[in-house]
Amino acid sequence: MRTKQILLAVTVAGLLATPAVARKTYSHQKYFEHYEGTKTCLKCHKKQARTFFHSQHYQWKAEASNVVGAEGKKLGKINQINDYCTNPVPMWIGEYVTPEGKVVEEGCSKCHPGNGTLPGEELTDAEMENMDCLICHASGYRRGLYETEEGGWEWKPILWKNQVGLDSVSRRISLPTRTMCLRCHAASGGGANFKRGDLEYKQTDCDTDFDVHMASDGNDMQCIDCHAGEDHRIPGPGADIAGNEMPDRNIKCDNDDCHGTEPHGQAILDTHTKRVFCTACHIPVFAKENPTNMVRDWSKGIYSEEKGKHVYTATFEKEVKPVLRWWNGKTSHMQEAGKPVATNDRGEIMMAVPVGSKDDPGSRLFAFKEYHAVMPVLTEKRWLLPIRTGVFYVSGDMTDAVRQATSELYGLDNAEFDWMPTVHYMGLFHEVSPASQALGCLDCHSDGGRIDWAGLGYEGDPLLALFQKSH
Amino acid sequence: MHRTWKIASIVVAGMVVIALSGLANARDKKMDGQALFKEHCKVCHGADSDNGEYTPMTLIQDQWEEFFSDTYVDTHKDVVDTAHGGKKVTEVITPEMLEKIKKFAIDHAADSEHPMTCG
Ligand code: HEC
Ligand code: HEC
Ligand code: HEC
Ligand code: HEC
Ligand code: HEC
Ligand code: HEC
Ligand code: HEC
Repeated sequence: MRTKQILLAVTVAGLLATPAVARKTYSHQKYFEHYEGTKTCLKCHKKQARTFFHSQHYQWKAEASNVVGAEGKKLGKINQINDYCTNPVPMWIGEYVTPEGKVVEEGCSKCHPGNGTLPGEELTDAEMENMDCLICHASGYRRGLYETEEGGWEWKPILWKNQVGLDSVSRRISLPTRTMCLRCHAASGGGANFKRGDLEYKQTDCDTDFDVHMASDGNDMQCIDCHAGEDHRIPGPGADIAGNEMPDRNIKCDNDDCHGTEPHGQAILDTHTKRVFCTACHIPVFAKENPTNMVRDWSKGIYSEEKGKHVYTATFEKEVKPVLRWWNGKTSHMQEAGKPVATNDRGEIMMAVPVGSKDDPGSRLFAFKEYHAVMPVLTEKRWLLPIRTGVFYVSGDMTDAVRQATSELYGLDNAEFDWMPTVHYMGLFHEVSPASQALGCLDCHSDGGRIDWAGLGYEGDPLLALFQKSH
Repeated sequence: MHRTWKIASIVVAGMVVIALSGLANARDKKMDGQALFKEHCKVCHGADSDNGEYTPMTLIQDQWEEFFSDTYVDTHKDVVDTAHGGKKVTEVITPEMLEKIKKFAIDHAADSEHPMTCG
C-alpha cells in the first residue's frame, strides 16, 4: 500500500519535473536542408500543390452553386466587385508611399497565398513556384513585400536574408492552426476585424466568453475542425462568399455530427430551432474585441493626421447586435463585375442578399452583420466600379483612383460615374457566446425587442398573439 | 573640526555624483524596450550599417536567446559606443536595460506573433 503511494508520488513528481518549455517537435525537422522557396516543398508535395492550384483559396473564384443566376459560373473576388476594397485586380501588388515616406498600401495580394503573381488558368511551373505553402502551414512564418530585381514586386519571407532563421521556421510544418488562418481572415476589409465582425486576431488565444468553440481554455477547436475539407478545398463559404468549392459538405451547427436539431431537451427552445437558426440566439453580439466597419463612404475622402493618409469616412462599432434575416442557403446579387446593379426600394444597391422568407419553409432566421457603403457606379451602364485605393490614400484624388482602376479592369478611360449607397448582409457564425448569455425570451418577444416582426413577414409577435387568443 | 568638514564635503560630492548619474539613468530607466533598442542598438545597427542591420525581426526567437546568453558580451565588450560618451557598449547598457531590450527583441522577433522593427 505504502510503496504504491510512494511510487505514485515519484511518478507525479517526475511528470511535473519535465521541462516547462518542452520544445515542440515537427515531422519536417529533417525533411530538407535549406528552404529555397516553394520548390523545396514541391520535391515531395507536387500532388498537393496541384490540388492547391485549383482551390478557391488560390484562384479566388469557384463554382457558385448557391448564388441565384450564377449556374455554371465561377465567381470570387477576382471577378466580383464588393463594397469593402472593391476588386483586387487593379490593386494587386506594389507599394503606395505618401510624400512623407509612409507606406499606406501594399495591395490585395497581401491576402493571396501566392508570392505575388495573379493566379492563372494553366498550371505551369511558374504557378507551382508562386504558391506560398508556408502561410497556411508554418508556425512563426511572416512575409513582407519586396522589390524584385526586374523592378516588380514580390512577397518573400521576412527572414530571406537569414537562412538559419528561415530554415528553422519553414520546418515548423503542421496542418493549419487558427493563427495561420487568421493571418488573412482577421484583417479582411483592410484592418483588424474591419470586414467580418466575428473573426478576430483575439481568436488565436481567447477565452470561453469570447468564443465557446475556439477558446484556448475550453474546446480549443481549430478552424479546420469545422471547415474540414480535403484536397485543399475548404467547405463553408457562408452567406456572402460566392464560390462554394465543396457544395456537398454543408457545415451547419445542427448537423448530426455537431449539435443536431434538438440540442436543448427543452421543448420551447427546440421548437424554435425549426424557424430560428442557432446563431440568432447564441451570437448575442459580435465584434467583441476590435470594432468592425459598419459604414464606409468612399465618396467622402478626408485627410487623417493620425494615420498620415487620406481615408474614406467610416463608422466602426464594437459589441454590435446582429440583425436577423431569413435565409434558405441561396444568395442573390453577388455583384459580378460588368453587370448592371439592382437597387432595393430605398435606392440602395443590393450586395449579397440572403434569399428566403417566412413563407418559404426552407428558410430560417440567421444572424447577420448589416453593412452600408457608398460606391462609384458607371453613369451609363450602371456597373459597380473598382477603386485603386492606394492612389487615393496617397493623393486624396478619388476620381483619379476610380478612373485608373476602371481603365485597368474594364478598359474604359475617363469613366463618368456617380456615387450610390449599398447594403450588404454578411452571415455570422463565430464568436458564439456561452449558453448563459444566449438571448432570453424577452430579447425577442417584447416591445422594442430585437425583432422587427413586420419586417420579417409576421403580423406581429406570435407569442403576444397567443396570449391575446387565450384571453 | 577640519576632519569633519572633509568628510562632509566628500559625502556631499558623492551625493552630487550619484544624483547626476541618477539623472542620466532616470531617462534610460523610463524607456521601454523599444526605446532602449532604438537608442542603444539601432545606433550601430541601422539599415546599411557595416555592423549588420539588426532589428527584432531580423532574427528568430532562438537566435536572440542565443545572442543574449552566448555572444553579446564577447562581441560587444570591446566595442566603443561614441554615441554614449565613448564607453564600451557593455558598460553603457546596464543589466536591467539589457533585460528590457532582450524582452522586446524576443517578443517581436521574426517568428513572434508581432514581428517589428524598433521604429
Ligand atoms: C522530403 C520530403 C518532404 C519535403 C521536402 C516536404 N515534406 Fe511535407 N510531408 C512529407 C511527408 C512524408 C509527410 C507525411 C508524414 C509526415 O507528416 O511526416 C508530409 C506531410 C506534410 C503535411 C501534413 C502535416 C500533418 O501534420 O498532417 C504538410 C502540411 C506538409 N507536409 C507541408 C510541407 C511543406 C509546406 C513543405 C515545404 C516547406 C514540405 N511539406 C516539404 C514529406 C516532405
Ligand atoms: C489557404 C491555406 C493553405 C495553403 C496556402 C496550403 N495549404 Fe496545404 N492544407 C490546407 C488545409 C486546410 C489542409 C487540410 C485539409 C486538406 O487536406 O485539404 C491542408 C493539407 C495539406 C497536406 C496534408 C494532406 C494531404 O493532402 O496530404 C499537405 C501535404 C499540404 N497541405 C501541403 C501543402 C503544400 C505543399 C502547399 C503549397 C503548394 C499547401 N499545402 C498550401 C491549407 C493550405
Ligand atoms: C492568404 C490568405 C488566406 C489564408 C491564410 C486563409 N484564407 Fe480563407 N480565404 C481567403 C480569401 C481571400 C478568401 C475569398 C476567396 C474568394 O474570393 O472566393 C477566402 C475564403 C475562405 C472561405 C470561404 C470560401 C471557401 O473556400 O469555402 C473559408 C471557409 C475560408 N477561407 C477558411 C479558411 C481557413 C479555415 C483557413 C486556414 C486553413 C484559411 N481560410 C486561410 C484568404 C485566406
Ligand atoms: C464551430 C465551428 C467553426 C469554427 C471553429 C470556425 N468556423 Fe468558420 N464557419 C462556420 C460555419 C457554420 C460557417 C457558415 C458555413 C455556411 O453556411 O456555409 C462558417 C463560415 C466561415 C467563413 C465564410 C464567411 C462567413 O463568415 O460567413 C469563413 C471565411 C470562415 N468561416 C473562416 C473561419 C476561420 C478563419 C476560422 C478559424 C479562426 C473558423 N472559420 C472557425 C463554423 C466554424
Ligand atoms: C430561441 C433561442 C435559441 C435558439 C434558436 C437556440 N438556442 Fe441553444 N440555448 C438557448 C438558451 C436560452 C440556452 C440556455 C438554456 C439553459 O440554460 O437552460 C441554450 C443552450 C444551448 C446549449 C447548451 C446546452 C447545455 O446543456 O449546456 C447548446 C449546446 C445549444 N443551446 C445549442 C444550440 C444549437 C446547436 C442551436 C441550433 C440548432 C440552438 N442552440 C438554438 C437558446 C436558443
Ligand atoms: C431570437 C429571437 C427569439 C427568442 C430569443 C425567443 N423567441 Fe420565441 N419566437 C421567435 C420567432 C421568430 C418565432 C416565430 C417562429 C415561427 O414563425 O414559427 C417565435 C415563436 C414563439 C412561440 C410560438 C408562437 C406560435 O405561434 O405558436 C412561442 C410560444 C415562443 N416563441 C415563446 C418563446 C419563449 C418562451 C422564449 C424564451 C425561452 C422565446 N420564445 C425566445 C423568436 C424568438
Ligand atoms: C557601438 C556600436 C554597437 C552597439 C551600440 C551595438 N552593437 Fe551590436 N555589433 C556591433 C559590432 C561592431 C558588431 C560586430 C560586427 C562584426 O563583427 O561583423 C556587432 C554585432 C552584433 C550582432 C551580430 C551577432 C554577434 O554577436 O556577432 C548582433 C545580433 C548585435 N550586434 C546586436 C546588437 C544589439 C541587440 C545591440 C543593443 C543591445 C547592439 N548590438 C549594440 C556594434 C554595436
